[in-house]
This record gives sequence, structure tokens and C-alpha cells, in this order.
Amino acid sequence: MPPKPLAEFELLVMLAALRLGPEEAYTVSIVADIEARTGRVVRRANVFTALQRLEAKDLISTRLGEPRPERGGRPPRLVTLEPSGLAALRVTTRAIRSMYRGLDEILEAG
Amino acid sequence: MKAPGWARLLLATLAPTGRIDEILGDLEEAHELNVRRSGRVRAHWRTTLETFDMSFALLKLRIRRSRSFNRSSDDEGRGPLPRRPATRLEGPSWLDFKLGLRMLVKHPGLTAVAGIAIAFATALGSGTGEFVSDLLYPTMPFEEGERIVQIRNRDLSTGGVDPRAGHDFQLWRESARSVVELGALVSYRRNVVTAQGTTRPAVGAEMTAAAFNLPRVPPILGRPLIEADERPGAPEVAVIGYEVWTTLFGGDADVLNSTVRVGSEAATIVGVMPEGFAYPHGHSVWTPLRLNALDYPRGEGPGIEVVGRLAQGIGLDEARSEFLAIGQRTASAFPDTNEHLRPSVVQFGRIPQLAGNWLTQGFYFAVFLGFSLLMLLVCANVALLLFARTAARESEITIRTAIGATRGRIIAQLFVEALVLAVSAAVVGLWVGHTGLDWVLGLLRSFGGGQQLGFWFDASLSTGTVIVALTLTVLAAGFAGIVPALKATGKTVQASLQRVGAGTGGARFGSLWTGVIVAQIALTVAFAPVVIVIGYQTAEIRAADLGFAAEHYLSAEVQQGTPEFARLDTTSVSFTTGMPSSFVELKRRLRSDPRVRGVAMSSHVPGANHPLRHIVIEGSTAPDQTVRRHRVATGHVDADFFEALQAPIVAGRGFRASDMAPRQNVVVVNEDFARFVLEDRNPIGRRFAYVDSNREPHQEPDEWFEIVGVVSQVAMQVDPDLDSGAGLYRPLRLEESREVVLAVRLGPNPASFSPRFQELARDVDPTLLVTGVRPMDEGAWETRLLYESWFWVIVAAAGTGLLLTLAGIYAIMAFTVSRRTREIGVRVALGAPGTRVVATILSRALKQLVAGVLLGGTLCIGFVFLVSEGSFRPGPREFAFAGAYLTMMMGVCLTACVVPVRRALAVQPTEALRDEG
Repeated sequence: MPPKPLAEFELLVMLAALRLGPEEAYTVSIVADIEARTGRVVRRANVFTALQRLEAKDLISTRLGEPRPERGGRPPRLVTLEPSGLAALRVTTRAIRSMYRGLDEILEAG
Repeated sequence: MKAPGWARLLLATLAPTGRIDEILGDLEEAHELNVRRSGRVRAHWRTTLETFDMSFALLKLRIRRSRSFNRSSDDEGRGPLPRRPATRLEGPSWLDFKLGLRMLVKHPGLTAVAGIAIAFATALGSGTGEFVSDLLYPTMPFEEGERIVQIRNRDLSTGGVDPRAGHDFQLWRESARSVVELGALVSYRRNVVTAQGTTRPAVGAEMTAAAFNLPRVPPILGRPLIEADERPGAPEVAVIGYEVWTTLFGGDADVLNSTVRVGSEAATIVGVMPEGFAYPHGHSVWTPLRLNALDYPRGEGPGIEVVGRLAQGIGLDEARSEFLAIGQRTASAFPDTNEHLRPSVVQFGRIPQLAGNWLTQGFYFAVFLGFSLLMLLVCANVALLLFARTAARESEITIRTAIGATRGRIIAQLFVEALVLAVSAAVVGLWVGHTGLDWVLGLLRSFGGGQQLGFWFDASLSTGTVIVALTLTVLAAGFAGIVPALKATGKTVQASLQRVGAGTGGARFGSLWTGVIVAQIALTVAFAPVVIVIGYQTAEIRAADLGFAAEHYLSAEVQQGTPEFARLDTTSVSFTTGMPSSFVELKRRLRSDPRVRGVAMSSHVPGANHPLRHIVIEGSTAPDQTVRRHRVATGHVDADFFEALQAPIVAGRGFRASDMAPRQNVVVVNEDFARFVLEDRNPIGRRFAYVDSNREPHQEPDEWFEIVGVVSQVAMQVDPDLDSGAGLYRPLRLEESREVVLAVRLGPNPASFSPRFQELARDVDPTLLVTGVRPMDEGAWETRLLYESWFWVIVAAAGTGLLLTLAGIYAIMAFTVSRRTREIGVRVALGAPGTRVVATILSRALKQLVAGVLLGGTLCIGFVFLVSEGSFRPGPREFAFAGAYLTMMMGVCLTACVVPVRRALAVQPTEALRDEG
């Protein structure tokens, strides 16, 4: 069965996690990455909930990292994309790309 | 920079097990980022918002996990349509408590109304319970305080106590084995004067060293009283209390060995007792008691109090038996003086008439029962409100049940929600109860100069009171939470789901809630007239016409200080000898002051608290030929009284100096006496006698008094319960007066004369105790304060009742409208006018209102009949008034329907049908 496409916010979270990599992707860094790239304000609680949901769907897996001083000596929960997650990401981005194709002139003009 | 502690605590509490570290790490890192980006202040705001946001996310996560767990465990072996699981009580989880707290915030109206009601009931119950407990079962705050006892000689012939127990005290001390450390004391009121002349009236006691040291409380400075101080010829010494030390000596650590005059005797201060020590009752000075019983014949001498400690291993009953045996032996040996006397042993601080009495237990039980009933009444109403809330959540409950929650689980959750509400309110109530009791005790102490109320009366609520209050609160929460939960969950899931799906809802306000709301309306209606009557009486007192320009007068109570024990009257129980020369001299000096326009001497403050006595007028009989009694106020005044108060004599004459001599049974009555007692007949020359309850009605009285004059009305009482202000004045005999009231006519701002008054009194006689120096228009302040306090308690009770009633009606109406929104939409769509829609919605509430108001009106009339002892005969005016009142109350109750009715009228058919369809 082909993987289901991701919702918009899940897509942003997954892309941020992929970009940050398995040693740097966790709730706070994902929030910072999305905010920096999209310019929109992202609530940490929403990212936390989204990660819970994605993990429940087996699209990602998580593990505890090493304690870090900037976190008060506490560890982050690091996110790794599972093959099914990568597949869902591919399906979703492919769909977006195909929908985007041919509209470059119009969309870039704005 | 660290994130706020409360945020860490909140998230740590809500975080799932094993995930606390990462969530707190996120918090710290995000807060640090916020500080870097926006500065400290804004970072705190952002972190606060993010924490709340995160908290809700964690709560949702927990609920989702809990549901998925229930589903996975309950779905096994079930059919497609779930059946109602058996009622199995499951222990509430911590999540229930959190949800309970959220419900408090989510329903602020219900929280406020139910919270106020529960807090009020708890405050009233805990405050009253603690006071009654202190009164009936006092606990001395000393080491083995419960083992300190008092021994008194009870007079079997009169039922009273004979305190002249000097000889018996010696005997008890030598022979008793069950009570040890026996000591004696004599209380007094005297001026304490420093070497600099600073004066302060104080309650003190002459005590034997054994009596003083019974509490085993060491002084904070110096030493206690010791046996050597009791020896004749020993230096005069005094131990002072903390309050005297701080007010008269400014807390000087070098106060020891200073000289102070207690009454007329100079004494050296040898010790200072710690703060709060006021043993044995409300005392602040202690001097040695030099008691030699052999100075007096047996059965004579001044009265003493005897105290001691139960010996180790001895109970109160054993001590009583031993003292009874000693008393019987003494009675046989000295029949002339002791035949009718028996020593009784009571725990120190207990009221002897109540100690061990079944009535005491009954009274205590009655207070407990009253509190429980109040709580029951309140929680019945709170239950009504909670049921309305529960009914509004019916779909949530039904769906939860459908996905596997057991009935016990839901009941436990609803119980915990009620418990959180009740306990929160009870904690506030306990605090209010403690504060209120503190205020009441302060008030009572100011009334009695600290003497009447034992020092052990304390506003701190005992563990017992708190446990009882919290137990009743938990029971109340059980009633208010579980009953609605049982009602809401008592249907089959399938039927509930069908109703929820159809948008009609299943919950109904059945007969139980109808009964509650009708009873509540009835009580509110019946209670309101009580508030009106007390409010009217309070206003009457406030506006009472005293009959003279009281604001121009200063009054003061001047009292002879208690003499030293050795100088006390040796032939009577108490000393009564007055000190006329000091009183007369003080009056003379006052009159010679240029500011003073007149001085009157009397037994009581004019305008306030004269004692009431029953009299019979010579030759006056009732229609049934029985002797007619009248209750009148009585007072004693000197010859200048009426002139100083500018109260003219309207008939006959006033008092002359010769009337002040002994056996001059002349009386001046006031105008109300002439009008109401003598029914406007000529009073001059009429005679009356006091009613003696020990004499037969037909017996000739011992003493007749002749009316010689009538004076214009000057208030003697401000009691609104009295039918009239009838009163009489008798001559004041200074030889028999230990205490007089001096009323000084001055002009505006009489309070400014107060220091001069004190100075003159001190110059005349330093042992004169001067208290209650205040402008005379404050003379009735005790009565006024009592009525006003009582009025506000009643207002609070009535206000809480009305609030509960209105909230109950509102809850029912709001619930009805929300349940019938679809029906209303259909009616409006079919063209029903607004009035018809309102009538449909209001019909049930109106029926309940009418039933409640009529029941309340009946209760009210029954109460009036009871109070008037059946003499109340209502006429058209009374019926009109009652009708107007009941209509008004119905109007007040109907205001609670306004918002739900407006909501019903605003229903749009299209929206109603779309929402519910």
C-alpha cells in the first residue's frame, strides 16, 4: 500500500528533521528551523504533538541524546526519519512538485 | 538564565513518565532562546504562554493514551454496540484532580456560587464549633493542662458555690491524696501605677506559690512567685504580664527590681511572664496571697478559688470520690457550717454547671447537627448546580461510556470534580471561620474587659474542628458529586447514544431536583422577612433618640479597686462597701472645671443597658383579676442627675439630697412609665413593689416604693424588642456603690476632656479604676455592635441562600433552553410567536416558583404565629403587604430566567436545525 501524503504542518516538521539530521533534530531545533526558513511563528506544543503523531504512524523514531549544557544539562529527544517516513515525504513532495509544474512563472512573479 | 520554577513544576507534573527530562530540557533551551531574542521581560511572557500551550498538549496526550488503553482492554469480546459496564468503583486518578481544577476555571459562575455557599457554611460551622468546644471542653495550653482542677464547695441548699473555703482549703491540702499542689487565689481589679505615674487598670490575682506555679510556665525575666513571698512580713513583690511590661515599661529588660504600685501597695517587680500567659482567667498581674485561715472563724472570711493538679495515675472520678468523702467527714465534724456544703472537683476552665451534664453533650451534639444540616442544605443546592453541569456534559459521558469507560470510572471522576470544588471552598471557609472567630473573641474581650472570657479561648481552629469540617466537606462532595453522577449515568448506552445523536439529550430534572429547588425558594422567601426585621431593628438602634444631647456628654465608669486580701470584708462573700468620699470629691473637682456645665452620677450609663425588672402596681389587676406584672428598666441616680441631663420634671418633683439617705423608698418614673404602665393615670403617690419569684403571688411584698415625680423621657435601653421605654429611677446611695457612672456635660467634642478626667481621678484617689471613658452617644455601642454584627451574619446567610436559589433557577432554565433549542427552532419556523415560546420554556420554572413562594409564605406566616404566640390576626393591610412581598420575591426569582429566555428568543430556526440535525 503506497504511503499516505503528509499534512502541511507534518511536512514542514519532517523536512526540518531531515535537514537537521539525526543528531540535531529535536523539538526546539525543529521549531527554530521552521521559523527561520518560513518566517512564521511556530508553537513548540504543535511540533511536540506533530512528532507524537508521526511517531505513532511509525514515520519517525526517537531516542534520547546526550545531555547538553544549554538545556540545563538535560538530553534532547532526537528524531530520525524511518524509511516509511522518507517514502511519505517523497510522495508528498512529488505531489507538490507535480502540481507546481508549469506554474513557476505565475507563482514566482508574485 | 533558568526558566521560571512554576513552569518547570507544571510541566514536570504533566509530563508522561520517562519524558520529564527532555520536556524540561526543551523548556530551558526555548526560554534561553526567548531571552536572547526578546529580552528578559518579553521572554517571561513568551515562556508563560508556551508553557500553558505545552501543558494542554501534554494533557491531551495523556487523555489520548488513557482512551486508547481503555479501548484496547475493553473492546475484547464485546459486540458492535457496547453494553453498560457494571458499576465498579475505580479509584480516582491524579488526572481527575487536574480535570477538577480545570472545571473550576471553566465554570467560573458555578465555582463562585457553590464555593461561596460551601465556604459560608464551613466558616459558620467551624467558627461556632470551635467556640462551643472552647466553652464546653476547654484545653489549657500548659503541660498537663487537662489535669489542672478546681475545687469548690457546693451549697446543697441553694445549688450555688460558697467560696469562703479558707479552713477547708487548709484541710484539703493536708489530707487529700488525689489532688496535689493545691493552691489558692483571689482575683482583683486594681490600678497598676509606675514610679512615673503612668496608670493602667489591670485584672490581677493574689496567689499562693503553688497556685501560680501549677501551669509550669517559667517567666521570661526574673522569677515566679515562691513560698517565701507568702510569709507575713515578707517584702511586697509582683510578677507582671507581658502586656503590662510592654505597655507600662516599654518592654524594658531592666524592669526587675523596679517599684510598681498595685492598688494602694507598692511592690517590687520580680518577674515578667511570657506573651499570652493570662492564667488563671484573663490576668496580667500576680502578687502573693498571704492566707491564714485561722484569722477567720470557719465559714467566714473572703472568698477564695482553690486549684490543684490530679495526682499521677488518678482520674477525675477518683478525685471526686475522695473529696466527697472528705466533705462528708467535715460536715459531720462541723455541722453548723458544713452540713450543706460538699466539695466538687471540676476540670479547670470548665463551667461547673455544665461539666459532666448530659445537657452539655446535647448542646454540643446540637451544634454539630446544626452544622451538618446546614452543610446538607448547601450541598443539596450545589448538587443541583452540578447536576445541571453534568447533564450538559451528557454527550461526553455517553461517548466515554461507549468507548469503554466504566460507570464507576465516570462516577469517580465526577466525585473528584465535586471534591476539588468543595475542598477548595472549605479551605477558604476554614480561614474565614478562624478570622471571624478572632474578631468575635476580640469583641467579647472588649465587652468584658477581658475578665469574662478565659485566655484559653483561641481563634486557632483545633485539629478536631478541621477534621470534622473536612470530613463533612468530603461527605458533602460525595452527595453533590455522586448523586448527579448516578443520575446521569443510570441509562443504557444505546438509548443515550440515540438521544445524543438525535440532539434531544436524555437527562431530565426529575422530582428530586424539583424538590430541592422548591425547598430552596421556600426557605429564601421565609428567611427574607427575618433579615428585614433585624435590619429595621438595627436601623432603629442606630437612630435611637436618647432624649438628651448625648453628643455633648462624656461618660466614664469609676470603680473602687479591689482592696488587698487582708483588708477584705471578713463577714460576707464579696465586699460591697463603697467609697463615697472619693466619688463625691471627684464630682466636686469635675464641677469646678470651667469647661464642665454639669455632672451626674448614676448606676448605669444613661441611654444604655439598664437592668429590667418586673414590678406590680399597688391595686392594679388584670381583667382576669390576677396581679398585673410590668417589665421596666431600673436605675439609681443622684440628686443632680435630671438637671445635668437637662431632663425636666413634668409632674411632682425630682430627687432631693435627703432622698439619698437609707430607707427613703421614693421613686421618679419616666413618661413612658406613666403612659404605658399607669395608662395615663396620675402617677404621683402611686406605689409599686418588685416581683419576688420566691414569694407566692398573693403574699404582701416586703417593700413598697412611692412615685414622687415624673421626668421627661430619657432612654434607659436601646433594645428594640421592648414594648416601651418604661423605666424608673431610685436614689443612688454611694455607701452601697462600688462603681458609679459619671456623666459630664461639656459641649461639642467631649472626647477632648478625657485626659483631664483621668488626671482628676488620679489626683483624687490613685486606686480609683476609671474605664469606658467615651462620648455618651457611644454609650449603647455594645448593643449596637451586637445587633449590627448579627444583622450582617443574617444578611450573609440570606444572600448566600438567594444566590443559590437564583443560580439553581438559572441552571434549570439554561439547561432547558439548551435541551430544547431544536424544538424552539421548529416552533419558530412554524410561526409560533415569541410569547408562546417563552410560555413554553417558562411553564415548568413558573410552577416551581409558585410552589416555592407559596410554601415560603406559609412558613413565614407560621413563624409569625409562633413568635406572637397565636395573637397575630392579619387584616387586609397585612394580606396586601404579604401579597406584595411574595410578588416581589417571585419577580426577584424570575430575574434568573432573563438570560436563558433571551437566549431562547434569539434562536434562529435554520441554525438550530442545522446544529442539531
